[in-house]
Amino acid sequence: MTHYLKVWLASARYSLVRTMMFRGDFFVWSLVELFWMSVNLLLVAVIYRHTTTVAGWGKYEMLLLVGTSLMIQRLLMGFFWSSIFEIGRNVRTGNFDFFLAQPGNIMFMATTRKLDPDGLVNSVLAAGVVVYAAGQLGLRPSPADLALYAGLVGCGLVIHYSILVLSISPVFWLTSAQGVEGGYFTLTEFSRLPREAFKGVTSFLFVWLLPVVVVSNAPARVLLHGFEPRWALWLLALAATWLALAVFVFHRGLRRYASASS
Amino acid sequence: MLAAFEKYRQAFLVGLQSNLVYRWNFAVRGFFSLFHLAVVFILWGAAFAGSERIGGFDLRQTLTYFVTLLVLQFFISAFNEDYQISEEIRNGLINQFLLKPINYFLYRFSIFVAARLVSGVLILLPLLCAFPVIRDYLTFPLDGWRLAVGLPALALSALIQFSIAYCFGMLTFWFLEIQGFVILSMAVEAVLGGQIFPLDLMPEPIFRASQYLPFYYQMYFPAAIITGRIDLPTAGQGLAIQTGWVLVLLAVNHLLWVRGLRRHTAVGG
Repeated sequence: MTHYLKVWLASARYSLVRTMMFRGDFFVWSLVELFWMSVNLLLVAVIYRHTTTVAGWGKYEMLLLVGTSLMIQRLLMGFFWSSIFEIGRNVRTGNFDFFLAQPGNIMFMATTRKLDPDGLVNSVLAAGVVVYAAGQLGLRPSPADLALYAGLVGCGLVIHYSILVLSISPVFWLTSAQGVEGGYFTLTEFSRLPREAFKGVTSFLFVWLLPVVVVSNAPARVLLHGFEPRWALWLLALAATWLALAVFVFHRGLRRYASASS
Repeated sequence: MLAAFEKYRQAFLVGLQSNLVYRWNFAVRGFFSLFHLAVVFILWGAAFAGSERIGGFDLRQTLTYFVTLLVLQFFISAFNEDYQISEEIRNGLINQFLLKPINYFLYRFSIFVAARLVSGVLILLPLLCAFPVIRDYLTFPLDGWRLAVGLPALALSALIQFSIAYCFGMLTFWFLEIQGFVILSMAVEAVLGGQIFPLDLMPEPIFRASQYLPFYYQMYFPAAIITGRIDLPTAGQGLAIQTGWVLVLLAVNHLLWVRGLRRHTAVGG
């Protein structure tokens, strides 16, 4: 475990040094993510200009949900996005060989190599949105609630990570992973909606079959309603299941990797 | 004149062939768009549960607006034209056009039209699959003038979309990497183009101000004409402003091309 922490810290240090070398790039990308976050907040503001409730959720409750969803997404962007996204290109070009020669679990090495500080900066801003919404709602969560909220956000991050790994893994069979980005962002759109808005087929599909709704709703509900064992356990079980599935599919794919270089 | 037309017709046909190669990419993108449509239906369905009309329009009119927007995106939006132009400049592929009697803007525009024809037809397939579910939510006004004004508005919107992408592509003459600028601009275009919510739901002064920006004419304007969100006098006035923006953007395109070429160095043989 300490070994992996050391490897990860070395990669993180390298990423930070690299970011400082391209400060303009860092500024532009931070702005890009900030703009896209603002787009989502703007949508909430516009809808609640004309209505007081969406599926029983008020404006600031919705803001808290959207802030939580954005925070999980930005954490994913900060910690894993670039590394996972590059797997497609590396498998196609044969550069994936580089990870096979590294001293550690290949999935860990390949998915944690790069850190994007712009995503992490924006995750702090998303956390600011959550704090603001909680303040407007007059919420005073206990330390235990805050710890549970952080734990469930962590579970959400694991689920997003697993979905992204599962989305990129077909590259081992197809040698192309085009459309992964669009597919992932489309699916995460559902995580900005309250669970109560889903009915019938959509409820079955996006609440029960795919974990795209519970991923943000479970942590948001901890702040709004306190500890609800059903939601917490559900998210924990989903995180474990989807991570196991991602590990399984990734390693099955790895067996197919034949290296493009010769 | 005919010879010139023939040149670009060939470019169009090449564009058609090369985009048909990527038909599955467009099909997958179209399929994922249905998920986006599902999000829109769920969100706005829940919002309308609290009030019968939002911004003067009912749920069916609002959902019709978003379905129209989806179709228009595949018929007139610029997808990755900015990247393609950027790549051609960065890799030096643009050099060949400097030596041939061909206008680079018209060449790229011919390929853009071909690409949108392919993607536009392909989005109709997933929409046809979804039609049994969404048909009850669709309601289009039947005024004849909407078609007469809507079609030129659509053509001008496509020109604006392409011109903005072309401008970003041209920035490669100055910057090595344009991806950040493009995605930054996409966020602005998505909001002010009415892709996130109908612009008429914004506060009145902001909505009025947005009518003088080119983004308003990228997507919202033609969609609003077709789905009955604006009346004839507003559409006529909008068409005039839209034409003005097309001329401005064409001039900027030309300026960037001329100034950019001064900085360009063609290396190799």
